Amino acid sequence: MSEQTNSKQTFDVYEVFSQRTHTSSFAHQFSLLAPNHEVAMTMARENFLRRDAVVNIWVVKRDDIYVCPPEERQYLERLDNKAYRETKGYGDLQSKWRAHRERYEQNQTNNQ
Amino acid sequence: MIAQTYEEKRAAFLDKIEHGGKIEADDWMPDDYRQQLIKLISMHGMSEIMGALPEKEWVPKAPTLRRKLAIMAKVQDEMGHGQLLLRVAEDLLAPLGKNREDLLEDLFTGRLKFHNVFHMEAPTWADAGVIGWLVDGAAIITQTMSLDTSYAPYARALYRICAEEKFHAQHGESIVLALAEGTPEQRAMLQESVTRWWPALLMFFGPPEDGKISSNQQQNMAYKIRSQTNEELRQAFFDKYVQRIFHLGLTLPDPTIRYDKTEGKWHYQQPDWNEFKQIVTGHGPCSVSRLDLRKLSYQQAQWVRDALLNNTQQAI
Repeated sequence: MSEQTNSKQTFDVYEVFSQRTHTSSFAHQFSLLAPNHEVAMTMARENFLRRDAVVNIWVVKRDDIYVCPPEERQYLERLDNKAYRETKGYGDLQSKWRAHRERYEQNQTNNQ
Repeated sequence: MIAQTYEEKRAAFLDKIEHGGKIEADDWMPDDYRQQLIKLISMHGMSEIMGALPEKEWVPKAPTLRRKLAIMAKVQDEMGHGQLLLRVAEDLLAPLGKNREDLLEDLFTGRLKFHNVFHMEAPTWADAGVIGWLVDGAAIITQTMSLDTSYAPYARALYRICAEEKFHAQHGESIVLALAEGTPEQRAMLQESVTRWWPALLMFFGPPEDGKISSNQQQNMAYKIRSQTNEELRQAFFDKYVQRIFHLGLTLPDPTIRYDKTEGKWHYQQPDWNEFKQIVTGHGPCSVSRLDLRKLSYQQAQWVRDALLNNTQQAI
């Protein structure tokens, strides 16, 4: 019987995500070291979820996550030319609807 | 722990959703709950995809660059909604050994239906506006009701979808208001479009209950998949849109429509429900051509899926 441990064996990094309600998105909490998924799950609760109630937890081995490479992140920036996808592209609608309603109501009164 | 019988599990399930509990894809669920969800969500998902077809016809013909960008963005969003909903349906189908290919096969063979409105023609630019304003408006009403569904993955998809639908409605309103404030020809085109779409919009919510709620609706309400009947949703649609249509100086092809204050409900002329049945079973004006287009696009993209999956074909 040998008492020597295998010193080359290391822990893996796990990223922890939790969900506050069934309709909310999973939010990243933090990371931790663990030997496997089960231990990572236990430690996730001990480390990051001592107070706020959650309905579900994910632990994901960091090696299994494909991250946007640092040199590509600069291209994530949005160009400010998509007003038709945003509320500010339709700012005139409310006043137009109001004008049409007022004209309609004026016509109704005049016809009475 | 003693193994629970099916009935005990079902009772616990019903108790959970009765108290506002939410169900996840990996939770135990009764077989008919799964079946109802698959039917509803796959129909909803395919309708999003088929719904992009009448609108995409207007992308090359949009009157300005801004309108073209906006309608392209909307078509892209609709396909995105289809993808969200098909993912939800696929997770429900997985334990039954089925996947997206089976859903498409069901669409092509007519087993899987899509909304009546997407079987209709969109011959003018006013239709692009009316679809965004009123068809998406009708969809917002049914989808908003479903945000509180007992099936959490469907609710999460719907939160994303409803957020984008608001832009679609505004995009439609913007087109409609421009036409309403335009030339007599533009106003006439808008009036024709509203007249053309009115029966289809009434049909969108499904037949009224007339006191007897269908077993399908009853089951979905018991399972808290939906919370309102077809007629309640249609009434909510009238509340929101009838006055606005009149404010634009437009008329409806139903001279009898009126709101009864004492009853608190709208009286209106029923559309032809036999025609509705014909349309949704694939006999609408564009049913065949739109399905053929979908089929063709699926077949023509087969090589892309094969290449992505490395399913190489050998030339003999």
